Amino acid sequence: MTAQSTHFPHSDIATAELAAVSLAYPKGGAVLKGLDWALQPGQVVGLLGRNGSGKTTLLETLLGLRLPQQGRVQLFGQDVTRLDDDARARIGYVPQQSDLFENFTAAQLLAYFKSFYPRWNEAKVEGLMSRWDIARDKPIRKLSGGQQQRLSIIRALAHEPDLLVLDEPVASLDPVGRRDFLRELVEQVLDRGTTVVFSTHILSDLERVAFNLAFLSDGRIALQAPLDELLEQVRAFTGSVSELASLFARLGAQPLKRTPLEAGRERVLARLPAGVAAPLDAQAVNLEDLFAELT
Amino acid sequence: MDPSHFVQINTGSTEPIYRQLIEQVRRRVAAGQLKAGDEIPSVRELAQALAVHPMTISKAYSMLEMEGVLERRRGLSMVVAAQHRRAQSSASRIELLRPTLQKAADEARQLELPAAEVIGLLTQLLDDESKA
Repeated sequence: MTAQSTHFPHSDIATAELAAVSLAYPKGGAVLKGLDWALQPGQVVGLLGRNGSGKTTLLETLLGLRLPQQGRVQLFGQDVTRLDDDARARIGYVPQQSDLFENFTAAQLLAYFKSFYPRWNEAKVEGLMSRWDIARDKPIRKLSGGQQQRLSIIRALAHEPDLLVLDEPVASLDPVGRRDFLRELVEQVLDRGTTVVFSTHILSDLERVAFNLAFLSDGRIALQAPLDELLEQVRAFTGSVSELASLFARLGAQPLKRTPLEAGRERVLARLPAGVAAPLDAQAVNLEDLFAELT
Repeated sequence: MDPSHFVQINTGSTEPIYRQLIEQVRRRVAAGQLKAGDEIPSVRELAQALAVHPMTISKAYSMLEMEGVLERRRGLSMVVAAQHRRAQSSASRIELLRPTLQKAADEARQLELPAAEVIGLLTQLLDDESKA
């Protein structure tokens, strides 16, 4: 099964592709270290990484807002530094820090952005403004953090993007607001086959909507796979180093993370090949375990 | 059928969401709560109600179709398959509990609990549920 919904024309061109991307800050040191990553059309990918691991830097690099020292970034098959207007209009972005003009009202802000895009779904904008209860005529600085975040989401969805990049989009939303936002994402995927990349620390939200997960660790995407497969194939094993080595060789298991224990023993998170039954004493893991071990 | 009450999911589980869906539908069909011809929520309805990626829902439905629990009616709607006219016998329903009880039995052994105490606890849990 592919991530591509049958309702939408298939494209062989990755929506976003990063190849051997390295980026270092002048004072801070290397953040991205020869990172390779691809988002295929229609995929919803959850980006997982610890605080300070470079998730925001990675998303900004993907969007061409930061230029890497090495490597190549392409969106819709075009070099990100030379995107044409058509490609630009296909991107929606919700940044972690609100970048809304604070002295505008919500209505003024949306009218301003509308002028830049060839397409603008007024009915969706109006529907979400009412449903999410955002004052149209108050200055944005007087809206609550949650309302500003919702407005930022509406702005990103209004022009019906084909690629939606969401950097911690739900940090200021309460659980009801988050659920509402997730429903909206699901609708985008159903109606438009939008490619979505989504970073958050709220793992339960990712578990619902992110069919694929990407783990950012030490400046690279250490692993990207469908969550269903990871839950079914990844197990935690504990035993002596030599026992586990021969067990993994027999099962064809691929070690993902090793933690040495005392007396020549270790705990290993390993991925079994599809369809190979896990030994009974191997422990199943959940998303939180995967986050803790792989980021 | 109201899609928001059709099934429930638990996040944070070691069991993928599509598996949780499959098992709940299987159990409801086995118990006769869902019978032959009953229409189930569409992929769209259920994805929206649960705020879950639609592929997760369609994966569960396809597997239930392959198992013969569901069938596709003309158009796109899915219904409970014709063979499930009434609840299964308790002998075959209890088989659906085996994996869960097997796991409980393994854990009870690891904890070195006497069988009578484990069974006592299960009895108590079943009583609590029926009172609730």
